[in-house]
Amino acid sequence: MSTSIAQAATPFAEDQLSEIRRLVGGATAEQRLWLSGYVAGFQAATDSPAAPAAPPAAKAKLTILYATESGNAEALAGAARKSAARLGFAARTVDMMDTTPEQLAGAEALLVIASTWGEGDPPQRAEGFLTALMAEDAPGLAGLRFAVLALGDRAYAKFCETGRQIDARLEALGGTRIAPRLDCDLDFHQPAAAWIDTTLREIAPPADEAGAAVIHVDFARPGAAEDRTRAFDAEITARIILNSSRSDVETHHVELSLAGAGIAYEPGDSLGFSPRNDPVLVEDVLRLAGLDGDAAMHAALTERLDITTLTRAQITDYAGLTGDAALRALAEDAIRAAEFLRDRQFVDLLAAAPHKLTGENLTNLLRPLPPRLYSVASSRAAVGEEAHLLIGAVRWNSHGRARNGVASVDVAERRGVGTTLPVYLKPNPHFRLPADPAAPIVMIGPGTGVAPFRAFLQQREATGATGRNWLFTGARRFTHDFLYQLEWRDWLQSGVLSRIDLAFSRDQRKKIYVQHRMWEARGDLFAWLQDGATVYVCGDAKAMAKDVHAMLLRVIADQSRRDADGAAAYLREMQRAGRYLRDVY
Amino acid sequence: MTQLSRNETIKGESRFLRGTIAEGLLEHVTGGIAEDDQQLTKFHGIYQQDDRDLRAERAKKKLEKAFSFMARLRIPGGVLTPAQWIAMHDLAAEHGNDTLRLTTRQTIQFHGIIKSNLRPAIQAINAAMLDTIAACGDVNRNVIASVVPQHAAVHAQVLETARAISAHLLPHSRAWHEIWIGETQVAGGEAEEEPILGRTYLPRKFKIALAVPPQNDVDAFAHEMGLIAIVEGGSVVGYNVAVGGGMGMTHGEPDTFPRTGDLIGFCTPAQVVDVCEKVVTIQRDWGDRSDRKHARLKYTIETHGLDRFRAELSARLGFALAPARDYAFARSGDPLGWVEGEDGRWHCFLFVENGRVQGEMLAGLRAVAAQHDGRFILTPNQNLVIADVAAGHKAAIDALLRRHGLTEPGVLRRNAMACVALPTCGLALAESERYLPELITTLEAEYQRCGLRDDEIMIRMTGCPNGCARPYLAEIGLVGTGPGLYNLYLGGAFDGTRLSKLYREKIGHDAIVAALAPLFAGYAADRRWGERFSDFVIRTGVVAATTAGNRFHTA
Ligand code: SRM
Ligand SMILES: Cc1cc2nc3c(=O)[nH]c(=O)nc-3n(C[C@H](O)[C@H](O)[C@H](O)COP(=O)(O)OP(=O)(O)OC[C@H]3O[C@@H](n4cnc5c(N)ncnc54)[C@H](O)[C@@H]3O)c2cc1C
Ligand SMILES: Cc1cc2nc3c(=O)[nH]c(=O)nc-3n(C[C@H](O)[C@H](O)[C@H](O)COP(=O)(O)O)c2cc1C
Ligand code: SF4
Repeated sequence: MSTSIAQAATPFAEDQLSEIRRLVGGATAEQRLWLSGYVAGFQAATDSPAAPAAPPAAKAKLTILYATESGNAEALAGAARKSAARLGFAARTVDMMDTTPEQLAGAEALLVIASTWGEGDPPQRAEGFLTALMAEDAPGLAGLRFAVLALGDRAYAKFCETGRQIDARLEALGGTRIAPRLDCDLDFHQPAAAWIDTTLREIAPPADEAGAAVIHVDFARPGAAEDRTRAFDAEITARIILNSSRSDVETHHVELSLAGAGIAYEPGDSLGFSPRNDPVLVEDVLRLAGLDGDAAMHAALTERLDITTLTRAQITDYAGLTGDAALRALAEDAIRAAEFLRDRQFVDLLAAAPHKLTGENLTNLLRPLPPRLYSVASSRAAVGEEAHLLIGAVRWNSHGRARNGVASVDVAERRGVGTTLPVYLKPNPHFRLPADPAAPIVMIGPGTGVAPFRAFLQQREATGATGRNWLFTGARRFTHDFLYQLEWRDWLQSGVLSRIDLAFSRDQRKKIYVQHRMWEARGDLFAWLQDGATVYVCGDAKAMAKDVHAMLLRVIADQSRRDADGAAAYLREMQRAGRYLRDVY
Repeated sequence: MTQLSRNETIKGESRFLRGTIAEGLLEHVTGGIAEDDQQLTKFHGIYQQDDRDLRAERAKKKLEKAFSFMARLRIPGGVLTPAQWIAMHDLAAEHGNDTLRLTTRQTIQFHGIIKSNLRPAIQAINAAMLDTIAACGDVNRNVIASVVPQHAAVHAQVLETARAISAHLLPHSRAWHEIWIGETQVAGGEAEEEPILGRTYLPRKFKIALAVPPQNDVDAFAHEMGLIAIVEGGSVVGYNVAVGGGMGMTHGEPDTFPRTGDLIGFCTPAQVVDVCEKVVTIQRDWGDRSDRKHARLKYTIETHGLDRFRAELSARLGFALAPARDYAFARSGDPLGWVEGEDGRWHCFLFVENGRVQGEMLAGLRAVAAQHDGRFILTPNQNLVIADVAAGHKAAIDALLRRHGLTEPGVLRRNAMACVALPTCGLALAESERYLPELITTLEAEYQRCGLRDDEIMIRMTGCPNGCARPYLAEIGLVGTGPGLYNLYLGGAFDGTRLSKLYREKIGHDAIVAALAPLFAGYAADRRWGERFSDFVIRTGVVAATTAGNRFHTA
């Protein structure tokens, strides 16, 4: 369920496809890994390839182009390069931010790894490239052989949209698709690894069988970089709701002991953990599926399977399983399906049309439960072997049900002090303090977006960094939601924090957000940019990051008397220089 | 001479009430302002407070105290236009806590204004042709006046006098306009003078009330100056002058006490502003600036003696006051319900429980204000009068009020008042506004059990001995001593002319009910015809009558 083969592009018939789906979907991670190797090996061993069997005289050139926001695509690209090198390619990785479609025209073989953000948007750093690629005057790419690996999250309506668009566009521009695109869900590691391996062989089949038999799976286990499989059970030593009891939101400050974990996080990194589903919801799902559920089933639904996300494919599959004609009709009507999916979860599907399922039926309908990431809100230089997280409890109502964010409410309600959280490190090399301790920084992070900036200030204070620090933050209400207020106040007093600009949206009739404060401070803000400040943005991706981005452009245009293009170029240059960094979600 | 109190230095160095208030407003990381500035904003009618309900949880949440500000209007005589009422309602909804708090000094308090909203709030007040200048602080406070719209001509005269006194005694400093409204400073501000109040203003607050007998809704004897209108031929011919009243005291400090003012003579309407000015200047020059607990005019008079005071006043005035004229007070509570005026217009006295206008009542009054072309008048009993309703409009307004559930209270509730106390008042020792309604409900049940029905008893409660609801002038006074505990005072006169006496100390809810129930029963059984509850408890020896403030603590 978690990874689909883009149907239009497959050489398989529908029934073959569902066979594959059944097999792959039901497989454990280990089984899938084995399968991918098996397929690659099988192909190498049995095919008599049309391509030359001898190693290419000159090394085949390969460009691995990636579009990333939070680093997954980049990590895969790096791993792919290593594999390619081992297979004899002259491979290089290129960030979409650093190139143009023209520069691709010369490439022979191209592997694209692209994630999707926002609501089906490209990662911000790749926007420029994609605009150019989609433009009417984009260069012809005849002669280019390409394959696209798309990263995404099935919970979003526009699943893997960026990858899809790139895939279609490269073909339209005259390129030749070497391998069908793979759309990966959040558990992309194994399927991506397998796909990369087979695809590399498609591009330039290895010289001999021995080489072919070597399955390079190391990138599926990125080791030190990000290792979900070796989570550390960190004890929760403190958990405090920072909002006042009068607030309508709940943000938890969580302190974890990392004693002995060897998790050497840097300010800017995140910790991930696999949450447990709400036990009440687990019971609801079982009941609606007409199942009692043994201990193993309970464990699977609680710890391993995603029982909240609902996708159109699940409606289709459920209709297929149950022979429910009404559901099938719903699934087939894109508009009605979208309408049904809005603000609904898996449990609503079962409730809308309850059918008795087998345990296997049920688990096959569900994708693996993805882990959740939280920015570290502390610096080891200040707190030692601890990590602090700032977790906003996500709660809402829809279709007559009270809904809880899986991970955030797991922490808020079921992970008390003394219990543990199985955390792993998710480094974010693109969100680091400037190497120069004297360089100024501007931090923009309303809500939980302020978390990494607490880490930044702790770090800069502990290391005696002299650079000026300016924070824009905010929340709903000053009195009840000002996260870490006393700490900012103390840092202002001690001079660690040079300036704070606050936006509390609900303290007055007219909503005030950080971008409004940026505009009010535009003169100083631009002066800081001119002084070489690095701008960091963290927090909500849906609205905040976009509004802040637009405001940065506006401030730059206004203060430097540039037109829109000039301002965009200024900001792009900052981005290229690593002075405009975002960690948004 | 003993050392000046800290406040004297703050005032002296404030550049006429500016201090660093404006700078403090720009310090966004804190919801508060500097300590010294907190003393100065009072002169602008603004108090820094914090939500005491939340104190315990704040520090561990890495939050400072839940600061917000209370702003108090200056409305001499308490008269507003319906449009002003609506503007104040809007202000409370947008910047405050969505309540209007009618006070015992005939004005409105806004609670819960956070720092970032202070300027917009004060500007909205200014835009409605109102202000908060000198509503608090060591100055002459809001001048209050009896609410007698049914005597239109007399009321108009008294109102005019109240406004004239208020205007005359206002600080001259432009600080309020600069800080809150954005008026640009006139060259340094230092050139200003305070010809009446002086550079360090008064030693303490100063209060003036104008009463129109028989109505003593203002409690004429509870203030620095009580001016009792003498009406002849349908017009005010002058005022009896009482001086040296006040309520506040401190538990356990018997040299602090409530005091009823002394009647010292009579002046004409033409003289009255001057009389007020001269009393103010005597207090300015003689008042105790070393001990703020001993700085009110009542102590100045106790210290110097009434005769010396009177002589000084004559000297400063250049004439002696005429002998006081006859007058008689009947009650200090408001008449509730519709009252027909001499001119045929109607006035509806609405009961507002503890002055807190909120929820359905706010909505109802807004609806009334939208179609009312008369006035809204706040009373010193925390109530509200919809005044000047043409006979033809009465039914419509009545219907609106009923639709919003504004009905008449029970017999004990109608004269009951409580001060604000928790959670905003920083000085509260016990609940008041949030507790009295419940206590009254219990007491009304006891009262009815004794077979009593229509005999009013005046009950007042405060959360501390400062006496903001003038509890020492109530027939039953309850004054907070600690959480859930109150001193019970009895024997204050129904017409506000006699102080009460301590009856029980530091008792809780059950003990209060237990103490009062038998007295209700006794009153029901043994009272004389027309005898007030307070007179009954004195006649039957439950408590002794308090004849003067300095005898308040003597049994
Ligand atoms: C709102 C009001 C009570 C009410 O429920 O209506 C009130 C509320 C407060 N009074 Fe009062 N006083 C109020 C009428 C009075 C009265 C009655 C009167 O003026 O007729 C008195 C007794 C008369 C007198 O002054 O003696 C009164 C005597 C005090 C005192 C004691 C003063 C003294 O010298 O003894 C204080 C404390 C102080 O000034 O240090 C005080 C202080 C306060 C403060 C501002 C607390 C503080 O200083 O931090 C209270 C604000 C509470 C809040 O959260 O709103 N308030 N206060 C009244 C507002 C009047 C106005 O609109 O100006
Ligand atoms: C790099 C990174 C860093 C992060 N750092 C932090 C951090 O420091 N602090 C933090 O709190 N979070 C952070 N997040 C977000 C965090 O990972 C989780 O996404 C978040 O906590 C929600 O997870 P959940 O399991 O509680 O909710 P989920 O069960 O995943 O539910 C969230 C989903 O519910 C739906 N939803 C939510 N609200 C509504 C609504 N009102 N109406 C309808 N549908 C709704 C949306 O589909 C939403 O995507 C970060 C994310 C990333 C990628
Ligand atoms: C805020 C946010 C929005 C996202 N929007 C989409 C989306 O619209 N469609 C999709 O398929 N995936 C979406 N994703 C999932 C990401 O594409 C996925 O996490 C991917 O692994 C990220 O790869 P990257 O680290 O290379 O950027 C979103 C993720 C986040 C955090
Ligand atoms: S009487 Fe005391 S508790 Fe009540 S408002 Fe006045 S100062 Fe506060």
